[in-house]
This record gives sequence, C-alpha cells and structure tokens, in this order.
Amino acid sequence: MATEILVPQLGNEVTEAEITEWVAGVGDEVSSGEVVVVISTTKAALEIEAPTDGTLSEIRVDEGELTEVGAVLGVIE
Amino acid sequence: MPKQIPIDPGQTYAADTVRFADIPVHAYRSDLAGERDRWGDDRLRRALRDMMIVREFESMLHAFKSTGAYRGIEYVYKGPAHLSVGQEAAAVGSAMALAPHDQIFGSHRSHGEMIAKGLAAIAAMDAGALAAITGKHDDGRLARFVADHIGDAGGSAGEAFLLTGVLAEIFMRDAGFNRGMGGSMHAFFTPFGAYPNNAIVGGSSGIAVGAALRAQLTGSDAVVLANLGDGSTGCGLIWESMNFAGMGQFRTLWQPPFDRHPPVLFCFTNNFYAMGGQTRGETMAWDRLSRIGAGVGPAQLHAETVDGSNPLAVADAVGRKTRILRAGEGPALLDIECYRYSGHSTTDTNAYRSRDEMKAWQAHDPIARFRARLVEGGVITAEEAAALEEAVGAQIEAVTRAVVDRQKAPAIDIKSNPAIIGEMTFNGETVAPTGRAGDLLIDPADSKAMQSIARKSRSGFDAEGGLLSPMRAVTLRDALSEAILHHLVHDESLIAYGEECRDWGGAFGVHRGFADIIPYHRLFNSPISEAAIVSTAVGYALAGGRALVELMYADFIGRAGDEIFNQLAKWQAMSAGELRLPVVLRASVGSKYGAQHSQDWSSLVTHVPGLRVIYPATPADAKGLMMTALAGNDPTMVFESQRLYDRVETFEAGGVPEGVHGLEFGTAALRRAGDDVTILTIGPSLYPALDAADELSSHGLEAEIIDARTLVPFDYATLVGSVKKTGRLIIVSEAVERGSFANTIAANVTRLAFADMKAAPVVLGAPNWIAPGADMEDSYAPQPHDICDAILGDFFAEKRVNRRGLRDWDIIDMAKRGI
Repeated sequence: MATEILVPQLGNEVTEAEITEWVAGVGDEVSSGEVVVVISTTKAALEIEAPTDGTLSEIRVDEGELTEVGAVLGVIE
Repeated sequence: MPKQIPIDPGQTYAADTVRFADIPVHAYRSDLAGERDRWGDDRLRRALRDMMIVREFESMLHAFKSTGAYRGIEYVYKGPAHLSVGQEAAAVGSAMALAPHDQIFGSHRSHGEMIAKGLAAIAAMDAGALAAITGKHDDGRLARFVADHIGDAGGSAGEAFLLTGVLAEIFMRDAGFNRGMGGSMHAFFTPFGAYPNNAIVGGSSGIAVGAALRAQLTGSDAVVLANLGDGSTGCGLIWESMNFAGMGQFRTLWQPPFDRHPPVLFCFTNNFYAMGGQTRGETMAWDRLSRIGAGVGPAQLHAETVDGSNPLAVADAVGRKTRILRAGEGPALLDIECYRYSGHSTTDTNAYRSRDEMKAWQAHDPIARFRARLVEGGVITAEEAAALEEAVGAQIEAVTRAVVDRQKAPAIDIKSNPAIIGEMTFNGETVAPTGRAGDLLIDPADSKAMQSIARKSRSGFDAEGGLLSPMRAVTLRDALSEAILHHLVHDESLIAYGEECRDWGGAFGVHRGFADIIPYHRLFNSPISEAAIVSTAVGYALAGGRALVELMYADFIGRAGDEIFNQLAKWQAMSAGELRLPVVLRASVGSKYGAQHSQDWSSLVTHVPGLRVIYPATPADAKGLMMTALAGNDPTMVFESQRLYDRVETFEAGGVPEGVHGLEFGTAALRRAGDDVTILTIGPSLYPALDAADELSSHGLEAEIIDARTLVPFDYATLVGSVKKTGRLIIVSEAVERGSFANTIAANVTRLAFADMKAAPVVLGAPNWIAPGADMEDSYAPQPHDICDAILGDFFAEKRVNRRGLRDWDIIDMAKRGI
C-alpha cells in the first residue's frame, strides 16, 4: 500500500514551502515517526516525519524546490 | 544541529532533597603578623592613608553641603552628595585585592570606591605607564591643570590627577574626568579600572556582567566587581544579572576556551539601610544578605558575609573570590557589612535610626580601629599616623582650592556653543568590519538557510512584473538576516543574543540557520530577562565589544525600561563621548495577540534622547539600515513590524542589494510622487498609504508618499520640501496618537512650512486605547480607508466623499473623557 508524504498545514498565511533536505533517500527503509525530509517556510524549518513504516519509493519534490501546502513530497510503500 | 540537554522523566521525578551548604559569616580571623607578611608594612600604611583620603574627600563635600565652606574655602555646591562615611574599609579593602586592569562598576554611593580603586592602581603602576595615561587623557589638559594650579601640594602627580579629575567631575567642571557630564553619581576613569558608577540603584549589576562577558571572550584575566548596595537586592535587575552570570550553558554548551563563567563579583556594601528603609527586618525577606546566593545556583555564588569595618577582612575575601573568578568558577557574591555614619544624602535627618545605634557604631569606625591596630602592632607610630592625617587634609585642601575656582576650572562653554551637550550624544563613527571571523562552525555558503535565500529573486517582481511570493523573493526577514550574518561573519567582537535566538532562529526566524555557522559564545539563547539582556549588552559594549540583542516584542521594552532609557541612551553623553556603545537593540511590533503584544512604541523610544531609532518598511531598507546600525558606534533601536517580515522588495529596481549595503540614517525615501497631499509614513503604514493613494487617484488627487525610515535622526528637509509643494500633510503611524512622535513632526513642519500650507497637518495613528485582538485589529492600525477619510474629510471636504472608516470622533470630547 502506498502512503503519501504531504506538506502539512503550516499556519494561516503560509502557502508555500521549500525542500531544505531529504534525510531519507529513495529505497531507504523508514519507520513511522522518523524524520524523512526537512522543509522550510519563510519563517522556520520543519522536520516532516514518515507517516508509516515502509520503503521510500519516490521523491516528487527535490531539494531546493518550492512546493505548496497539501502537495505530495514523496511516497512510502 | 539542536543542542542536547535531555530532560529525563525518571530522573526528574526521583525523590531527592535540594541541599544547601553553609554560608560563612565573619569567618575572617584577625592576624596582624600574618597580614604584615602578606602585604608588607608599607601597603598597610597606605591602606590607612587611602581610607583617610576617602574620608577627608567626602568630609569636604559634606562641609560644602552643610556649611558652604571647607577649611576656609567658601563654595556653594548645588549637586548631590551621597556619601559613604563609615564605609571606607569596604572600598579600600576591595581595591587592595585588585590589579589595575580589574574593573569596578560603582554603586549609588561610590566616590570612595572610585578613589580607592584609583589610588591602588596608581600605586601599582610604574611612572611611565602612569604618565602615559595622564598625558593621554583629554590631550593632557587635566595633567597640565594639576601641574599649573596644584603642583606638589596635591600629593603625587598621579594622586593629584585622580583627586582633581573626580572632584572637578563632581563639581561639573570641564576639567572633570567626563567634562562634568557625569557629575557625582556617574563619575569614572577607566584607565584606573574605575568604570561607571550608577545613580540607578542596582544599575551596575548587569553592566558588570556584560563587561565580565567581554573579559571572558577576549581571554583577559581581568575580574569585574559589580559594586552594589544592600538596597539593590530588592531590584529585579540584580536577580536577572546573577542568573545571567550563572547560566548553565557556559558549562554545558560553550566550547573551550569559553566554557567558563563571566568573572563577576556581586560586591554588596551592606550598610543596613536603603536610603531610610531598613533592609534586614523591614524591607527585605533575607536575614543575612549572603543568603540570597543560595537561591541562584548550586555553587551558591560562593557567598559570604564579611566584616566591612576591617579593610584586611575585605581584602582577604575579595582576593579569595577573584581566584575563583579567574578560574572561571564564578559568579560570586560578597555581603560586606559596614555602617554608614553619614546620612543617605545631605537632606537626611536620620529619622529612621536611633542616636543610640549610631553611637554604638562609632566604636567600629573603620579608620580609627585600623589606625589603632597598626599603632598597637608597631606598623606605624601614633605621631606618624597623625602626620599622615594632616598631610591628607592639606592634599585635599590643595585640590579643592584649585577646583572650586571657576576662573581656573570653568564648566564647559555652553554659551559659545549652545548645542555642546547635544553634540556629545552620538559619535557618528562607522567601523566597517574587515576580514573574516576565525571561529565559524561552517562556511556560510554551505548553510541551508543561506542557500535558500541565495536561490531567491532579489526583486519582488518576476520578469512579467508579477508579484513574487515570499518563498520566491528575498523578504524583509531575509534582508535582515543577510545584514546581521555579514557582521557576525566578519566581526568577531560582535555577539548576538536574546530569547530563542539560537536553535529557534529568533521567534520570527531572522536568525534562522545562524546556529549552524556561529559558535555558542557569540550566538546564544538568553534567559527571559529583558533588563539583563539590555544591561549586559551595555556592559559588553562599553568594555570594547559590540552587541546585537533582541527583545522579541517591542511591548517588552517596559521590562527593560531603565536599561534602555537610563543606561543605553545615556552613557555616551554622560561620559562626554569617552565611552562608545555599539549596541543594536531589535524589537518587533506584533499583531494578532492584542494589547500586550501589538504596540508600536517607537514614539516612546524616540522621546528619550540618546538612541538612534530606525523603522524600516522595505527589504532593501531593512538591509541597508541594519548594516549601518551594526557598523556604527552609536546605540540603535530597530523596530521591525511582524506584518512586514514576509514583504518582498517592490521599490528598488534591482531588488535587495547583494553584499555590503549601507544606508545613511536620516534620509527619508520618496515612495510615490504627487502634488496634492504629502503622506509621511512611519514603518508599516507605508503600505496602507500606497493603497490609499491609489484610491485618491480615482478622486483626482495625487498623493506624495514619504517613508520616514529613521526617526532619530529625522530628515525634515525632504519632508518640508514636499509639504511646500503640496501644501498639505498627513502623518500615518501605528503609534497611539496621544504623545506620538508624529505630533512633534507635525508641529515642526507647521513652523517650517507654514506659509505654504493650505491646511493644518493631520496625525493619524492608533487610537488612544488598547490594541484589540486579531479580528478587531483593522479598527486600530490605520487602514487605507482611514487615510482616505482623513485626507478627503480634512483637506478636500468640497469633494463630499462619504466616510468609510470608523474614525469620526470628537477630539475634545474624547480627551475630556480621558481617551
């Protein structure tokens, strides 16, 4: 089963975030609660945890790129 | 990498007992033979003489205050005289244990402290070093005054220099150490290690901690004494300062060689009375002042109570504490008990203490007792002691006779330059940082946060002229970050701190990523101690460093009121320009939280002379003004609107300049040209004014918008030029209207451009009540429709445009109701 890693709601006025660093790479085993990616808003950096156990099968937004609240950052299978 | 000081729940909830060690009280045992071996007879005789000098000096001041004459010299001294008669052993004993480069920061009652430190330093210096100091001070003018008018009668050249410099300062003469700008309560002379004394009770505590932090970071072996009175234990700042100096992070997080505590000794001269309030038993909770050390940290501040009537007991204790401090194991606290015979001031009638008590203490007169002991011990004969006393009297008389003479020692010449005092406020110096700090943790170019900014557009517009989001263009927050990081990277003397300044990156992210680059000792989280944050910055700066500190919300200025208004704003002028205070103090103006987190207090800070005040509204200005602030040698208060942190650059064609970009203070910016009305904006009011100007265009009116950018200094020339063209002025700011700086501007422009004005100026600020919460905020900070209402209603009533805002109140009625 595939689980998407989403950009969470980051506050009333925040709509965009930048991918600061992928801590996990494609093919890595990750467990629920483990930090897989760090994103940044205009104000702060935020660590995004894996929502489930599995393998990071896909990275959809690369480091340094911008994305929006609700977007899919990657997929865990 | 976030810090790791794990909080273990198991350990936290384990049953335990908080233990305290005993605090020694008068543990010193008199041993004259041992003290003679330790100090030598000559030093003991000098201690007696130094106490006599302090006593005679203050007796002279007392004589002038009470009788208008001293030894036949008539003089009316109008200034204050907070004398320390009876406390001489504390001052002289402390000084005995200190090296010339050790620093004392004075108390409210510090003539004796300063004289004793000076005398000890002079005696310890060789003639060449002393001559270099006296020759350099004020280009040798004071030394020449002493040579011409006092000569040998004033004692040695060094002593006469010291006593003349202090007395001339107390008598507010140009020859004083600070040209009379400090006076009795703010005198100092740093080459002798006598740093500013402070008229504000407890005021020296945080300043001394800051100076000690400077010694810690520069590897100096100097120790710093915060001289305080027992009454100051009731002041919040001293508690904040003791905690600051004892912060755990010095040992847990700072890296060698900085992993030590600032070498500061909180040195309480406990004379049992805080003016007239009796500390023990009446106004304080403690039974022994030294007890308070136990509450501050596990080392209990190495607190002790010592006999302040015996200079050798004091010297012994101070000496032992300085060894602890030099080992980095401080801070320390001494409770030096002694009795003040003189009143608090010369108007004191001793209504708060009994004659019996005063009489009982006469038997403990430090000078009489020490003199008797030295005579008994054969260190000095009775005749020699009497001759010493007579010579001291003649010495003080000679100095006094020269200084009271207004022909020989005049005050500064205010008549020939009426602004002479004002010109001492700022030095205007700029120090451009060069080179690169050697202590960086990583290359800033490798910082993720800096790379993120580097990827952004410098301009707020894309190629088609569309507005970019704050994730795609450099914001005001980013611009501040760039300016600050540049200085932190290129200036090792600069330190930055405040609440959440490190891991969090500042509550609003301006320091984001800095923790990866700047080591702990130059970027750290402070306790929630606004007074100590500012006070330590003052001390760090006047000891030769540079500090950037943050108060998070401007509303917290109240917590640091004395430190901002009486210390940071005053010391440059009170030192007649001798001291430099390169401190940049940031505070954000909030929104959403309501009354205690949304106030624009720029007018409050502007009102008190001594601070440069800037309020940038655009990213390019934020960078330029911050860089100028950090490069300057004058204290600067920076207001930052939280609503503007995500603003991108929409004025500068090339966007936010890269690299070094300084912007001159006191230069207003023309944001929009127009002929019908001038809108002066302060801070974030620029943006509603721009929207208002668009709307006014639809009514056939063209507004000219000028952004003040800096309030101190302020650019009247640009504003008056515009008003002469348009004939109408409205000033928009988020400060409450009553007492707003905008009213000062309006009044001055009216005087300067009256002939060209078609209407009285209008000030549009926040109303005279609390800032409401987020949902009601648009009824508080001026909105575009409020600006249009004011302009169309007051200046162009003939257009008969309906009001859209709520501000239609009767000023007279509101004022009568107190709102």
